[in-house]
Amino acid sequence: MTKKRERLEVVRDILKIIQDNHNSIKPTPLLRHSNLSTKRFSIYLKELLEKEFVKEMKDKTGKHISITVKGFRYLEKYQNIVNFIEEFEL
Amino acid sequence: MPMNHLTGKAIGGGIGQGLGKLTSLGFGMELIYSFVIIACSLMVYFSTKEMYELSSHKGIKYFRMAFLFFAVAFFFRFFIRFLLMFFNIPRTFEFSHRFIGTSTLFLFLYASSMAIFYLLYSLIWKKWDFKSNGIYAFHFLALMVSIISISTQNIGVLLSMQFILFLFVAILSYFSHKISKKKKSPQLHLIYLLLFAFWIFNILDILIPNFLSLFQIFIYLISLGIFLFITYKVLRTVGSD
Repeated sequence: MTKKRERLEVVRDILKIIQDNHNSIKPTPLLRHSNLSTKRFSIYLKELLEKEFVKEMKDKTGKHISITVKGFRYLEKYQNIVNFIEEFEL
Repeated sequence: MPMNHLTGKAIGGGIGQGLGKLTSLGFGMELIYSFVIIACSLMVYFSTKEMYELSSHKGIKYFRMAFLFFAVAFFFRFFIRFLLMFFNIPRTFEFSHRFIGTSTLFLFLYASSMAIFYLLYSLIWKKWDFKSNGIYAFHFLALMVSIISISTQNIGVLLSMQFILFLFVAILSYFSHKISKKKKSPQLHLIYLLLFAFWIFNILDILIPNFLSLFQIFIYLISLGIFLFITYKVLRTVGSD
């Protein structure tokens, strides 16, 4: 059985999926690729929108999600954050 | 034992007074010592700000808060030292009868207890499955320690409470390390224990002036070494940007 992902790791994975899709993806494929239940995905997406890591945009084809500057900064700093938590056993 | 009967001079007598004069530090050195430790603590606090804002990680939050409280505690520690020198008061207890003395001493004791508690909480919050309001219990405990210490004005009570806190911290820190799955940095717990132990010496030094005069410079140097080491570790991990 695989280990349940930590919150920081899940956030990183969601942002990475969006980034790998040329920074624009619809919510349904994002949910599918994120390997989360619908309920957990909604919680994470809500948190990411509130923290302004991602933004929602609407066009003719529907709703798209893309990463903001803050979201990219999170991806940049992710490894440092994890190293820091491990180093100080936080 | 009432605190105003306990001074370094009373205890140490004339033994090592000459050496004491050589090794005890003047106001300038006191200023540098406080400045370096406050600067280190604030560097830890501000260098981890972005990391916390991005991650909202509770452990990072408690760790940062510990160093913010260390900065506050060292500021009040220095302020007490300054007041003692400025008003030419030989004993901290005499000074604590005045309002400014009582309030400064209270803030110093509260901030120093909270610094230790936050550092401890940053280690155990995940492993010991505390409720989200666990930290309020520590605030309450720190308040109690400060109020009892100030109201009894008894060095014995105060030191016993600090010693009990130290034992509590040491035991929890030890078990927290023992049950830790990663056990990546055993030296970290040693550094924390040294930090807690030398924190008691720092409290002792401010409450009973001259009590540790023979060892004051060594205590200051080791305390500085511990803070500089932690700051270096933090800055190295946080990254240069």
